[in-house]
Amino acid sequence: MALSADPPTLDPALATDLTSAAVVRQLFDTLVELDEGLTPGPALARSWTVSPDRRVYTFLLRRDVRFHNGRLLEAADVKYAWERAARGKRPWVFEKIAGAREFIEGRAREIAGLRVADPATLEVRLAAPFAPFLYLVAYDAAAVVPREEVERLGADFATNPVGTGAFRLARWRRDDELVLERFPGHFRGPALLDAVAFRILPEDLTRLNEYRAGQLDVTGVPASYCRVVEADARLRGDLVTWATLGTQGLRFNVESAPWTDVRARQAVAHAIDASLVVKTVQYGCGVPARGILPPAIPGAPAAAARLPYDPERARRLLAEAGVTGGPGRPRLTYHYNTGTPNQRLAELLQAQLRDVGIDLQLRRLDWAAYLTLVDEGRTGFYRQAWIADYPDPENFLTVLFHSRNVGAAGNTSRYRSPVVDRWLDEADAMAPGPERNRRYAEAERRIVDDAVYIPLYHLTSRALVREDVEQLERSPLSSAPEFLSPLRKVWLAR
Amino acid sequence: MTGELGRILAGRVGALVPVLFGVTLLVWAMSALALGDPARASMGQRADPAAVERIRRELELDRPAPVRYVRWVGRLVRGDLGRSLRDRRPVTAVIAERLPATVRLAVAATLVSIAVGVPVGVVAAARRRSLLDHALMAGAVLGISTPVFWLGMMLSLVFAVWLGWLPVSGYGGGDWLHLILPALTLGALHTGVVARMTRASLLEVARQEFLQTARAKGLSEFTVVMKHAFRNAAIPVVTVIGLGLGNLLVGAPLTETVFAWPGLGRLLVVSVDQRDVPVAMGVVLVFALVYVLGSLLVDLVYLAVDPRTRHAAAR
Repeated sequence: MALSADPPTLDPALATDLTSAAVVRQLFDTLVELDEGLTPGPALARSWTVSPDRRVYTFLLRRDVRFHNGRLLEAADVKYAWERAARGKRPWVFEKIAGAREFIEGRAREIAGLRVADPATLEVRLAAPFAPFLYLVAYDAAAVVPREEVERLGADFATNPVGTGAFRLARWRRDDELVLERFPGHFRGPALLDAVAFRILPEDLTRLNEYRAGQLDVTGVPASYCRVVEADARLRGDLVTWATLGTQGLRFNVESAPWTDVRARQAVAHAIDASLVVKTVQYGCGVPARGILPPAIPGAPAAAARLPYDPERARRLLAEAGVTGGPGRPRLTYHYNTGTPNQRLAELLQAQLRDVGIDLQLRRLDWAAYLTLVDEGRTGFYRQAWIADYPDPENFLTVLFHSRNVGAAGNTSRYRSPVVDRWLDEADAMAPGPERNRRYAEAERRIVDDAVYIPLYHLTSRALVREDVEQLERSPLSSAPEFLSPLRKVWLAR
Repeated sequence: MTGELGRILAGRVGALVPVLFGVTLLVWAMSALALGDPARASMGQRADPAAVERIRRELELDRPAPVRYVRWVGRLVRGDLGRSLRDRRPVTAVIAERLPATVRLAVAATLVSIAVGVPVGVVAAARRRSLLDHALMAGAVLGISTPVFWLGMMLSLVFAVWLGWLPVSGYGGGDWLHLILPALTLGALHTGVVARMTRASLLEVARQEFLQTARAKGLSEFTVVMKHAFRNAAIPVVTVIGLGLGNLLVGAPLTETVFAWPGLGRLLVVSVDQRDVPVAMGVVLVFALVYVLGSLLVDLVYLAVDPRTRHAAAR
């Protein structure tokens, strides 16, 4: 298989990227695992119960789980791993647990809401009901690690991981190849493959050429090569496509003039033809966005929530807001991070906005600089793609638009709407169902109407998979070439 | 004579210290002034402010930039380049892991440039202003001006995908077949420079009277060119080859990316992108060291071969 970058770490507490996650998920297990249909199922936990007030989750653990070092897993390991990860790079995975915030900020010695009832039982008390909690339990940051190995290895645990996963690390030559071998003692029985080799290939074309040369069994196909692959009779049959839970869009910082005026933001939304964006930036191989939420996300509204392409209306709104181009007016700036698709999008955007009288200045930055600029509110108009961490509308709408998340926590638009906050708070605490979905739909509608975010297209994963590769799940949380699905199920029919 | 050469050598080596110090100061200043926070960049799009602050403290990023620089230099004197901000491994270990791949590639590319560039230059000089000369020099210019990225992709497509003779990419555990395409790609740029310099130097020497004497003595043209002309023309060619080693390192990040070659070039690209300043500083320091050592080597060759430069340096 191929990875598009060398994983920065194999420590679940420190991993924040899809590349690391693709490997971490093979080395470690979580209490709960999502199947291809995104339904939570048992993993390290053989079962669980939820209290009537939906605040207490009691997990009954399997007693036959061994770490790669041979030791049996106990509930205390889960508590240790979660507390360790809560002070890692993704503390938000645990912040719904009672007392977690105090622990994360160093004001408590442990997470009060985590209780080891006995070696096989973990009780988790939430600060408030939170419908997607099981998704967080299935997230790779919540993977279980053995305390003694973490303490023995220190920082080296990131490069010498010890988990309970179906595979263990065999060798890793940085920026070249990472090889996993089957862990014979896995609690579900040994994986079907003896080993999995991840080739680290940063260039799209190099990955494609390796596949053509027969050196890869699986690889991703970026949008820029989708037409090439479709036209190639030898490759066409191996191409698989599926929806990834992600949306590419444009964001405004609503505290930055002239984007403080909703009419200016709406004008830009009406000036952009999302179909043309798909045709140009995605080479026609994509799906124009119908809203912020990808259609494949459970609970996403059936009706489209997007301001239509209407340049005439855009001109009128710009005139009303006083943002028409002309002498003496400042040029408006759009910030984006480096990358060919981002560059193409920026140029198309510049052309489309010129049609309605906006003179857009393009500013390209590298990723680190771009993040700082966006977090600190030093840009008014910028690009943002979002891929779901877990399949729930909360992960899009609450994270990206709730006023308590202003800044680096997700709401970089600095959008503060009491009514949207209320709808989101209510929905987040509700049990899944039509009423919850309706709240999210209302919130999404309002956010789109306020033109805080302009959805452009939903992300699509494309991969070349040889026909003898069996049972490679295409999780909507994956983004090819990185697969987050469990490779223990995969086998080769050759 | 040996003592004189030793004094000159000591002077040159001593001059390297301020150069390397200047390089580190420049890189540090650039990284300190650049927008972007390594702690924040390591956390993905969604970051918890408390976690960012904690990681900033762990990585000592909460200290003022000049203080961090002074501490870094203090450690450098003891041979310690610090730890990677990405995975907390010692920078010396990270660099030592990648250095062999880059050295292999740079040496192979240099050999390509010598093996192809020198004969091309000699033939072009010998057939001056002929169709062959023009064709070879046009090829040299093409080699210099072809983007490494494009050339790498084309070579890979033809020799790996279509013909299936060579691997597409990767280090292949050190298998020499994996080295051929990256070395040809990286060497192409330098081959053109070596060919042009060889031709120019030979033509320069060809005007010298001692060659007329050699011909008058009845020596064959081959002997005249190879034994008399080429030896005298070799000094500028050696200069270009020595200095070219630095240029090859500059070209390495692109070649290493195209061919997924796990060397210092790719390490530099990733560390700059991730704001892993200690690793970026370490790699730049190695590149600077190679560059100045290449220059020093050229100086020494000059001193050893040409007495005039030795006397000038001694003054």
